Amino acid sequence: MTSGRLELKGLVKEFGKGQEIVRAVDDLSLVIEPGEFVTFLGPSGCGKTTTLRMIAGFETPTKGAILLDGSDVTSLTPDKRPMGMVFQSYALFPHMTVAENISYGLKVQKLGDAEIQRRVSDVLAAMSLDNLANRAPNQLSGGQQQRVALARAMVVEPKVLLFDEPLSNLDAKLRGQMRAEIRSIQQRLGITSIFVTHDQDEAMSVSDRIVVMKNAIVQQVGSPTDIYRHPNSVFVADFIGRSNFLEVTDVKSSAAGTADVTALGKSFSVPAHDGAKSGNALLLVRPESITVSRQPIPGKISGEGKVKTVIYYGEHVEYTITTSTGEIVATTSDPGSDEILAVGENASFSFEANRAWLLPKA
Amino acid sequence: MALKKHGAKFDIFTKIAIVAVIAIISLLIVVPVLSILFESTKPSGTNVFKSVLSNPVIRQTIKNTVWLGISVGFIGTLVGFILAYIQVRVNFRGKKLLHILTLVPLVSPPFAFATAVIVLFGRSGIISHDLLGKTPMLYGYPGLVIVLGASYFPVAYLNLVGMMRSLDPAIDEAASSLGANKFRIFRTVTLPLLIPGITSSFLLLFVEAIADLANPLVIGGDYMVLSSRAYIAINGEYDVSAGAAYSAILLLPALLVFIVQRYWSQKKSVVSVTGKPTGQIAPIKSKIGKIPLLVFGWSVALFIVLIYVSVLLGAFIKILGVNNTFTLDHYRYIFSGIANNALKSTVFMASIATPLAGFMGMVMAWLIIRKLKRGADALDFFGMLGIAVPGTVLGIGYAVTFNEPLKIAGHTVIPQLAGGGAIFGGALAIMMVYTIRSSPAGQRSGIAALQQIDPSLDEASASLGASGGRTFRKVSLPLIKGAYLTGLMFAFARSMTTLSPVLFIATPETPILTQKILAESDSGRYGPAFALCTLLIVIVLIVMGIITAAVRGRGSTEFKTTLVAG
Repeated sequence: MTSGRLELKGLVKEFGKGQEIVRAVDDLSLVIEPGEFVTFLGPSGCGKTTTLRMIAGFETPTKGAILLDGSDVTSLTPDKRPMGMVFQSYALFPHMTVAENISYGLKVQKLGDAEIQRRVSDVLAAMSLDNLANRAPNQLSGGQQQRVALARAMVVEPKVLLFDEPLSNLDAKLRGQMRAEIRSIQQRLGITSIFVTHDQDEAMSVSDRIVVMKNAIVQQVGSPTDIYRHPNSVFVADFIGRSNFLEVTDVKSSAAGTADVTALGKSFSVPAHDGAKSGNALLLVRPESITVSRQPIPGKISGEGKVKTVIYYGEHVEYTITTSTGEIVATTSDPGSDEILAVGENASFSFEANRAWLLPKA
Repeated sequence: MALKKHGAKFDIFTKIAIVAVIAIISLLIVVPVLSILFESTKPSGTNVFKSVLSNPVIRQTIKNTVWLGISVGFIGTLVGFILAYIQVRVNFRGKKLLHILTLVPLVSPPFAFATAVIVLFGRSGIISHDLLGKTPMLYGYPGLVIVLGASYFPVAYLNLVGMMRSLDPAIDEAASSLGANKFRIFRTVTLPLLIPGITSSFLLLFVEAIADLANPLVIGGDYMVLSSRAYIAINGEYDVSAGAAYSAILLLPALLVFIVQRYWSQKKSVVSVTGKPTGQIAPIKSKIGKIPLLVFGWSVALFIVLIYVSVLLGAFIKILGVNNTFTLDHYRYIFSGIANNALKSTVFMASIATPLAGFMGMVMAWLIIRKLKRGADALDFFGMLGIAVPGTVLGIGYAVTFNEPLKIAGHTVIPQLAGGGAIFGGALAIMMVYTIRSSPAGQRSGIAALQQIDPSLDEASASLGASGGRTFRKVSLPLIKGAYLTGLMFAFARSMTTLSPVLFIATPETPILTQKILAESDSGRYGPAFALCTLLIVIVLIVMGIITAAVRGRGSTEFKTTLVAG
């Protein structure tokens, strides 16, 4: 397969007319490399689906351009773009069998019967759908329908695969399986893939890069680790995972990528976002970075409070600690039963400075 | 005995409801239909059957009927399809207006159309004769196809609009992203998915066309069809058995279509497999597709407007096209004699029959959805017979059954209900016809509404100690009230505008508006006919307005669901 490099240049999409223009996507630029798996993540209404639909050709950008392998496809209709799409509702043709669904795109390409047959049975085998070839879509389970939808999009060998929240209609367990499957197929075939979801777990587990969007605007683009460990805003930190934000004072820029801060009455050095070094900043500490204990742990940054709630999950314990400056959420993994604090007990919470992250407040 | 849906035995209310409903259906529809079959086995009836093969005139009548049904089914479905397609797939100004104009023929007496078409396009028609100077071959087959097609295409339209809207737009998009162009998508995806809707529309129109009596009488000329032949047999030749035989022949295809329809709708359409539809279907943008569609759509609307404007104008003008001076003579004429009594008795009877039909439909729906298990299908089938049996057949059935008192072993079980000399001047039979013709509408909308309501609400009520009757009154009925009222609206419109069954049982003591319109236009007094039509339309619209207002007050979402479902 030849490349599949996608370039989005200053994409803008506006809906409505006159006074009531709504900007669904605002000046989005991004280069997606061949074979890359990029996820657009954000709350509903953030513009992620609109972006995907512009790439597919179902929406025409108000401004900007879409380039595929260097050539401008902005004004092409969807049927002229070498892209496959997997829909949230699967959109299987209900009047066709599984095999007919899968061969639809191949027939459109006017391939020979033998070729069509070969490719259909290959993909049926690859997706373990062989014995369902002659079923009607409404005789399949949700997971099977999902597989057919994926097979149908893949079999035409598109340069780009587009996924519009394809897993949102599956139950939690199937969802986990399917996303592993999608990821492994995508890596095996090396197809450039764009995935849209509002589920951060999904985004984290499949993507090479995540594009976090909010209110039509891209907030941050980065690898899952990057987005989780080094969010560039309170919004991103909060949207991906759970967060504690500590007030800091005396922010001073120190070595590259770090800053000296004062928090919980102590001064220490933490990794920092460039935008946070000027001062107006918050210290992000993830709940799993915090240890709750009766005594402060030497060598860590720690504070004092009172246990407000304790929830035992088996694999970890979740505490809410009331402190003088607000509440702190902490999860402790694999706790011994005598180490679990009770509600009302005085508690210390501690974390290592290099696990925290200083980010801009607004 | 059928079992209750969740095992336990029926309570007393349910038992009474079942018995009552079965008794009413038997009396109002099953017995009359059986009487026809019985009557048709008498000598002059069997003569008709025997001569089906040998007598070319009868063969021609049957051929005419079938051909008319096919033509109207085809043309009406095609027009309905195109208008539905425009409504769903094209963006343009005045969409709502086009929608309303398309639906207008549904709420008016169908032969208002026929009369207006004659005045406009007939032998001395304003457009055909005065403007174009031609004498078109309007009477007979072409006129019937135009008038019936125009009267009934909205049925196909409604059917198909609903179906097109329920298609998941993503299915079109999926085909598009697999490389299919617009035309290929239409051919390989849209059209195949709509086949059930297209076929069912065709069949519905087929039955409406062959069942219609008024139009063949007004505009049919010498194009004889089974319904008009039966009418002539009874009202002209006074040969009831022959009339019964013709209607028995007519009953056959009508019931067949009804059964096929049921089978299909129960197979549950393949449309919409999973998931929620996302987005909207991309509207047609290319001018090459859009312009011809819109021109066609607005032409149809213009035709409808033309027809109704001439009905409205015709009522205020001496002789439309000949002496175009304003006059109130037609209204004076109808109110000085024919209209007063007809108006009173029609409105009176429809007002009594409508709530009865609505109530009956609701009880049926409740029994079918909530109570019965094994008998539900059968009950639904018999409940819908009132609309499946052609009006002509029903009317003749009533005439045959109720024109004499029903005696068992010398005792009068049921007194004479229909015809001259019947009790209440035959009004009872007419109200029975209204009720059984209208209750299917209530039944359908009730079923649609109940299916959307969680049965555990009924169970909750029962577990709190409420009887079946109390549950129906306090839980089910309030929840389906919107559907009930909407059903009533259609029931009333239907009662007021129904003609074919009534023609056979109307008496001088209980004149009916529709029958008077037919009489006036039959004798060429189009002015008074138009005045009566206008009157009828106004009454129907007023009642619809009242009911709509009442339903709106109860929450418009309910109303919308039932409008779509109904």
